[in-house]
Amino acid sequence: MADDYANRDEQIEEEEEIDETGYKSVKDAVLFAIEISDSMLRPRPSSDPKKPTEESPATAALKSAYHLMQQRIISNPHDMIGILLYGTQASKFYDEDESSRGDLSYPNCYLLTDLDVPSAQEVKELRALAHGEGEAQDVLAASKERVSMANVLFCANQIFTSKAPNFLSRRLFIVTDNDDPHGDNKSLRSAATVRAKDLYDLGVVIELFPISQADHEFDSAKFYDDIIYKASPSDPDAPAYLSADAKAPTTTGDGISLLNTLLSSITSRSVPRRAHFSNMPLELGPDLKISVTGYLLFKRQAPARNSFIWLGGENPQIVKGVTTQIADDTARTVEKSEIKKAYKFGGDQISFTHDELKALRRFGDPVIRIIGFKPLSALPFWANVKHPFFIYPSDDDFVGSTRVFSALQQTLLKSRKAALVWLIARKNAGPILGTMVAGEEKLDEHGIQRVPPGMWIIPLPFADDVRQNPETTLNVAPEPLIDQMRCVVQQLQLPKAVYDPLKYPNPSLQWHYRILQALALDEDLPEKPEDKTLPRYRQIHKRAGDYVLSWADELEAQYVKTAAPGPKSTLVKRSAKDRASEAEDAASKPHKKVKVETDEQGMDDVVRAHYQKGSLSKLTVPVIKDFLTAHGRSAAGKKADLVERVEEYFDQK
Amino acid sequence: MADKEATVYIVDVGQSMGERRNGRSVTDLEWAMQYVWDRITGTVATGRKTAMMGVIGLRTDGTSNELEDDVHFSHISVLSNIKQFLMPDIRKLEEVIRPSETNKGDAISAIILAIQMIITHCKKLKWKRKIVLITNGRGRMSDENLGEIIKRIKEDNIELVVMGCDFDDPDYGFKEEAKDPRKDDNEALLRSLVEDCDGVYGTLEQAVSELDVPRVKVVKSMPSFKGYLQLGNPEDYETALRIPVERYYRTYVAKPPTASSFALRSEIPAEDQPESSETAAATQGNQSGDALTSVRTLYTYQVDDESAPGGKIDVERDDLAKGYEYGRTAVHISETDENITTLETYAALELVGFIQSDKYDRYMHMSTSNVIIAQRANDKAALALSSFIHALFELESYAVARLVMKENKPPVVVLLAPSIEPDYECLLEVQLPFAEDIRTYRFPPLDKVITVSGKVVTEHRNLPGDDLLDAMDKYVNSMELVDNDEDGDPVETMPIEDSFSPVVHRIDAAVRARAINPDEPVPAPSERLTKFSHPPEDLLEKSKQHLERLIDLADVKKVPPKAKGRKRTRETEKPLSGLDVDSLLHQEKRSKISPNNAIPEYKQRLAQVDDIEIVKEATKQMATIVEDQIRHSLADANYDRVIEALGTMRDELISYDEPAIYNDFLRKLKEDLLQEKLGGDRQELWWLIRRSKIGLIVQRESDQSKVTDAESKEFMSAK
Repeated sequence: MADDYANRDEQIEEEEEIDETGYKSVKDAVLFAIEISDSMLRPRPSSDPKKPTEESPATAALKSAYHLMQQRIISNPHDMIGILLYGTQASKFYDEDESSRGDLSYPNCYLLTDLDVPSAQEVKELRALAHGEGEAQDVLAASKERVSMANVLFCANQIFTSKAPNFLSRRLFIVTDNDDPHGDNKSLRSAATVRAKDLYDLGVVIELFPISQADHEFDSAKFYDDIIYKASPSDPDAPAYLSADAKAPTTTGDGISLLNTLLSSITSRSVPRRAHFSNMPLELGPDLKISVTGYLLFKRQAPARNSFIWLGGENPQIVKGVTTQIADDTARTVEKSEIKKAYKFGGDQISFTHDELKALRRFGDPVIRIIGFKPLSALPFWANVKHPFFIYPSDDDFVGSTRVFSALQQTLLKSRKAALVWLIARKNAGPILGTMVAGEEKLDEHGIQRVPPGMWIIPLPFADDVRQNPETTLNVAPEPLIDQMRCVVQQLQLPKAVYDPLKYPNPSLQWHYRILQALALDEDLPEKPEDKTLPRYRQIHKRAGDYVLSWADELEAQYVKTAAPGPKSTLVKRSAKDRASEAEDAASKPHKKVKVETDEQGMDDVVRAHYQKGSLSKLTVPVIKDFLTAHGRSAAGKKADLVERVEEYFDQK
Repeated sequence: MADKEATVYIVDVGQSMGERRNGRSVTDLEWAMQYVWDRITGTVATGRKTAMMGVIGLRTDGTSNELEDDVHFSHISVLSNIKQFLMPDIRKLEEVIRPSETNKGDAISAIILAIQMIITHCKKLKWKRKIVLITNGRGRMSDENLGEIIKRIKEDNIELVVMGCDFDDPDYGFKEEAKDPRKDDNEALLRSLVEDCDGVYGTLEQAVSELDVPRVKVVKSMPSFKGYLQLGNPEDYETALRIPVERYYRTYVAKPPTASSFALRSEIPAEDQPESSETAAATQGNQSGDALTSVRTLYTYQVDDESAPGGKIDVERDDLAKGYEYGRTAVHISETDENITTLETYAALELVGFIQSDKYDRYMHMSTSNVIIAQRANDKAALALSSFIHALFELESYAVARLVMKENKPPVVVLLAPSIEPDYECLLEVQLPFAEDIRTYRFPPLDKVITVSGKVVTEHRNLPGDDLLDAMDKYVNSMELVDNDEDGDPVETMPIEDSFSPVVHRIDAAVRARAINPDEPVPAPSERLTKFSHPPEDLLEKSKQHLERLIDLADVKKVPPKAKGRKRTRETEKPLSGLDVDSLLHQEKRSKISPNNAIPEYKQRLAQVDDIEIVKEATKQMATIVEDQIRHSLADANYDRVIEALGTMRDELISYDEPAIYNDFLRKLKEDLLQEKLGGDRQELWWLIRRSKIGLIVQRESDQSKVTDAESKEFMSAK
């Protein structure tokens, strides 16, 4: 065990640099509380005659929960999710159910999925329930008795306390269409408000997803305003509550739109707001500091690394690795304090102590310091190394921060300028030089915020990070050729002439988890991935095809013109065949196939002929490699592998 | 591959080099060596075997060179032949570089000798040849045979560099007053020699002052993708367009060298030592004489098993399979299915569509940038790509494309922008975010305030007034980073070319400094590395009055650290409706804190009354609850709850100015834990408490506390 502790000391050291949150564990737990009542279970017809599916508020809520669960397995694999149904005939809470002896602690509360990182089995069960399959359907029956909201809230309290006692973010998502559960019953009301205060003091945030009934608009003033607090106590940086956010979906009869509204509303709150750095001084000049908090609004999501699995138990189990440092000479365990760090230099080791190394990376306390301003146009397109940081003011350390930040943001927007900033994001973090640009608030067609207002810090490359342009020969296209290409480009503008990332899910990430889900749930493997990033070939052909052909003709013409005078540069190695095919291209126009590469068609034909004769191995390796590269296939490996890959290519056709 | 290099340094170590001149605190030799060491260690740091050096001592006491029989070559010693320099060479050189007792020795002869060394070493092969002479020019120099020397230097394509102490250099703006006539002659001689060989002649002051200009390592780019820029699907449509292109890095983050871990070698009895020479070679590395041994990482593997003591069992590496986590379910993937989760893709850069460049938000850039050029030596491709670049440029458009760099690599969505310069055309490329990469955090607007009731307010303490906006505008203008060049045209100051990666170069400098002077502390970063950390002085001066007005109007007030947490006077939070929940709580009469709702009830209890006795009493109840939780915890089952409870107590007692109550409790708890009074071995919990930073409350956090940082550290570190 001693090794283990020695090791953990090192972890402490490392974590000090990352984790500034103190004793809370930086995780999120979401518990759905979905009301089950007759009106929640009543299917609402679809207004769209093409999709005659009926949807009840309860199943819409379950589907949204299922969707969120799936999504979070990908995006937040360590965060918890749970589902509590209330108002049900059945009751279930850990070891208790109707068959238990004695009184139930939480009657008419049914803990469908315990608060935890979801397991494949739970995903499967939830899906079955949401889609009206499986045995669990009986659960979806409303109780005759009115459930006490105080009891529901305390039930949630107990679930959070036992399963996620020290998570930084704990949220209770209440989905209901009943805006006044207790009417005039004063004692039930006040019991509920007290239990709500308990949750608030525990650090649990209640988020309400209200559903309006057909004849009745949901009115949160009746009851829910008494149990919902403005901001989470564990997140003092949270700016004032966004009222526009809490509007009830104005759903009337339509089941599908109810589902969609609920889905998007829940999705938008799927991730708790986590600061990358908080209460950071932003220095506008000497003696003028305000405080800001930084967030990562863009962050590349990658599939989790594969891990070791132990198959010796009943179920496959994830293995935890423990590392120990040992000295090479005697294989004794080395304490962290004994370890020196050394750099290779001139065949020797130049060593430093831990503290010295730390000091070398230290360039001062965390700060964002404005060095000066430049026009926005001084930020070249290529000057980028990674995703940006988003900053928003907080008045916690400096009263008046928001006011000054706003003035700066508005000034920069108006004058189209950007600030050059020196950023040290965390204690012991290396400095970053960045360009700070103002960002405008952007709303979608429903008036919901798409991009928040604030400022973005774009990390710049240092001189060391800039590579020289590779050498190339300049061959400027003549006007007529550019004109032709312009026509092509004009045909293929994306909707609204913008890139909307939300329309492009990451195909390999989705496929990875789609397969894992199928394996985990023992389902059939899906055949074909859905890949929204693939260009729409048919549309491209239809809209731009003719323009591409005339561009290609122009290219031939221009190429012949420019290439004709004088002998070819001797630097360029060209085979006789190359020249032949060029000549052929120039002389005749029989095959319309557009090609810039000199002899692709010829190469394709040759390779195909060999494939048909079964004599691919007679081709030389460079020819096979060219062929494979031209078709986006890997050209690595031995000749036999290459030939196999070519065969595969033709077999698929 | 970089070229092979052979450089010979000729260092003047004559008696006169041992003197301090012109008010400098170092001797001429020490001064010269700053430059020489920088050059030498800079080369050693590259670790290149083909970057070789030789060193010649000029005006040495003795004579040691291959022409030593010739009187012209006396008092010149080859200190090191041309070879790759390693640490032992550096140490050896350090020993012998000392001012001599003589002023005899001819610099020109030393140059001849250096030429000879290079010719012998490099023969007629491809080398970068270089001779660097550093002298104060106070020795006797003969001008015989200069023509022959110049001829050889030019024939062999040797670069001759002469750096002189206090040499006049009008370009740099240095002139030595009352110069010794012989030195004047020598300077003239060397200058004309260098000019005739197209070499470099400079004064040492300039060279030394520029030592801290970091050397940016030039990396030759290799294409990261060679394939086709495609529009449409050539497999299915005759109208598809393909242009063969290559992709290169435009930016790529330079990383500092990584250090490896070492530990002091254990004392091993002499007879156990293996081959002594081998050991010596392996251990002598460390400058201070410590013998180091490398540190290895040993991996062991564990799985949870409730039936095992400690809840975990060790498993063998060989019994493990590969797989992934899906939620908390482990999904095993057999070796044959290894690639089952990989999306099948083919390499290509495929155009998806086009967007308007002014509608693009620059902050969507997600990655380093790349350039895309037409396939080399393919004029037709270059022509085709050029038409594409110009079309985008004329339409003020960017292209959105899907890039797969290699077969079966994950696709990325990239943005392509046209770049047209007088002598260069290319596409610039950066990655764009996917749907999953976006976090929808929402924030209130900054130009208006929306109240809870939905009213829009434009005048508010969180919004700037016109005065403040005006002051900000003037300040921003006055801080513009633009200068005028000689012709009066504006030029950008502080460009990327001058911003050097502080960490990379500081570590590089520290390693080199330590190699020469092992016993000195790590040096501070050079000024050039921190140039971008503060606004330039002149700009500050210029903007001073605007800043003063801005500060005045901004009226920003620092929140005193104490007020942040203090609760005694603060209003309690209310729900949206503003309902007074506290009065309801009072009716509830919760006098005893119930263990299953401890944290809320503890907080509420403290909030209700301002009475130290009640605070003490409530904390005592909490303490008992915590101890019970520990005592009854099955292995680590309750530890997270305990941590949360301790953290809450700590926070609350800081804000109620009662740190001592917490500190006393924690001291007792530690004792109980380590003495195993709370249900056995609870070391793990103590470790968790340490990690969670919920130790003693120190003075920094609460001025009522008498505990210092050091005491707290001592208390927490003790096991």
